[in-house]
Amino acid sequence: MVNTDLLVVGGGPAGLAAADTAASLGIDVLLVDEGRAVGGQLVKQTHKFFGSGEHYAGVRGIDIPKLLNREENSQRVRILTDTTVVGCYEDGVVSALTGEDNYFKIKAKRAIFATGATEKFLSFPGNDLPGVYGAGAVQTLMNQFGVIPGKRVLMVGAGNIGIIVSYQLLQAGVPVAAVVEAAPTIGGYLVHASKLARAGVPILTRHTILEARGKDAVESAVIAQLDDNWQVVPGTEEEVDVDVVCLAVGLSPVVDLLRQLGCEMKYVPELGGHVPIRDKNLKTATGWIYVAGDVAGVEEASAAMVEGRLAGAAAAAELGADKQEADTVISRCLASLDALRGGPVGEKIRSGIAKLEGGAVNA
Amino acid sequence: MVRFKFEGRELEGREGDTIAAALHANGIKVLSHSRRHHRPRGFFCAIGQCSSCLMEVNGEPNVRVCIVPLEEGMDVKLQPATGGELKW
Repeated sequence: MVNTDLLVVGGGPAGLAAADTAASLGIDVLLVDEGRAVGGQLVKQTHKFFGSGEHYAGVRGIDIPKLLNREENSQRVRILTDTTVVGCYEDGVVSALTGEDNYFKIKAKRAIFATGATEKFLSFPGNDLPGVYGAGAVQTLMNQFGVIPGKRVLMVGAGNIGIIVSYQLLQAGVPVAAVVEAAPTIGGYLVHASKLARAGVPILTRHTILEARGKDAVESAVIAQLDDNWQVVPGTEEEVDVDVVCLAVGLSPVVDLLRQLGCEMKYVPELGGHVPIRDKNLKTATGWIYVAGDVAGVEEASAAMVEGRLAGAAAAAELGADKQEADTVISRCLASLDALRGGPVGEKIRSGIAKLEGGAVNA
Repeated sequence: MVRFKFEGRELEGREGDTIAAALHANGIKVLSHSRRHHRPRGFFCAIGQCSSCLMEVNGEPNVRVCIVPLEEGMDVKLQPATGGELKW
């Protein structure tokens, strides 16, 4: 049995920020991550971040993990990579597997689950063909391994991910036939969408994919226009010559472990699906588990890092850290989250979080 | 370069590639087949979540090739959906 004050599950932006903050407040942390290295999905985010300095604006995603994994905290943060949490039990024991055969138990006074999110799928004939990829998979292939996904791509979804990955495909020399978006408007930042438009890539709003065709892999895709009721307009079907269909239709929180623990969930579409109910400091009703990042509701990496710091500080306060110091971090994080979720861009997230408040616990 | 085998064919990948990335770079997109209809499957998520890329590596079935690093001399094979011997 490994004993620790604070266990952090997941070493992406939220988990790393949580560990960094708790360690800065004097708490010993054990961070486990299933990957070969920490960083989560930052490893493929070669683009520069937006926002203010506090949110790493101007820094490329791939460079953020080392900023969050600081030398000065290395005595307090123990990191286990290639380690997957496989079980959570009622008595607060968590079991984990390092590599293929090192299975062990962890007992933590507090835990922060920062397990992230996974790509959503879309239902259409041929969606199981090789060549139909999640947008994240295309980013992994291109940005992490330098392998292009194919010769010509149909992008499904014009949110930030769909738009940014389309642009990265162009930069890698892979033509994008079109971006189709079922909604009437482009969801991603217009500055990125404009880059695509200038490069001659059509962004077709109110359009969807009907089918992927091919024998052993995608050889073409059929797209069509949608009416105001999201129904296909007959006669608008068009076959596009592509060997890759890239789905950028959103993410859903990876809540399996929290479910196993009996953590109460609520279905909130604005946050990506089923999300754990928690208080404003991200503590769940289990009494010892916090959540942070996409698992708490899908947002951008900037918000995930602030949530990590918030949960890290709140957990640290309960574990005996200086209350005043912790409270300072907590209020700064709450203000920062308000700022990130401000304005029209944050409207969806704000309404999602408002829905959670009905069932929120007050710890 | 890292040399490895896929279905008996000698292929090359790059240091630091995952098995799936190396196969893709060699033009191999079909990594598995569905259980009932034997439809071809490739990887979908590339981060070890979707289970669509399970292959036999060095005799061991059900390896998520999208997250396992390529190593010199690896023997990579297609497997039936349940693992074990290919029966079709």
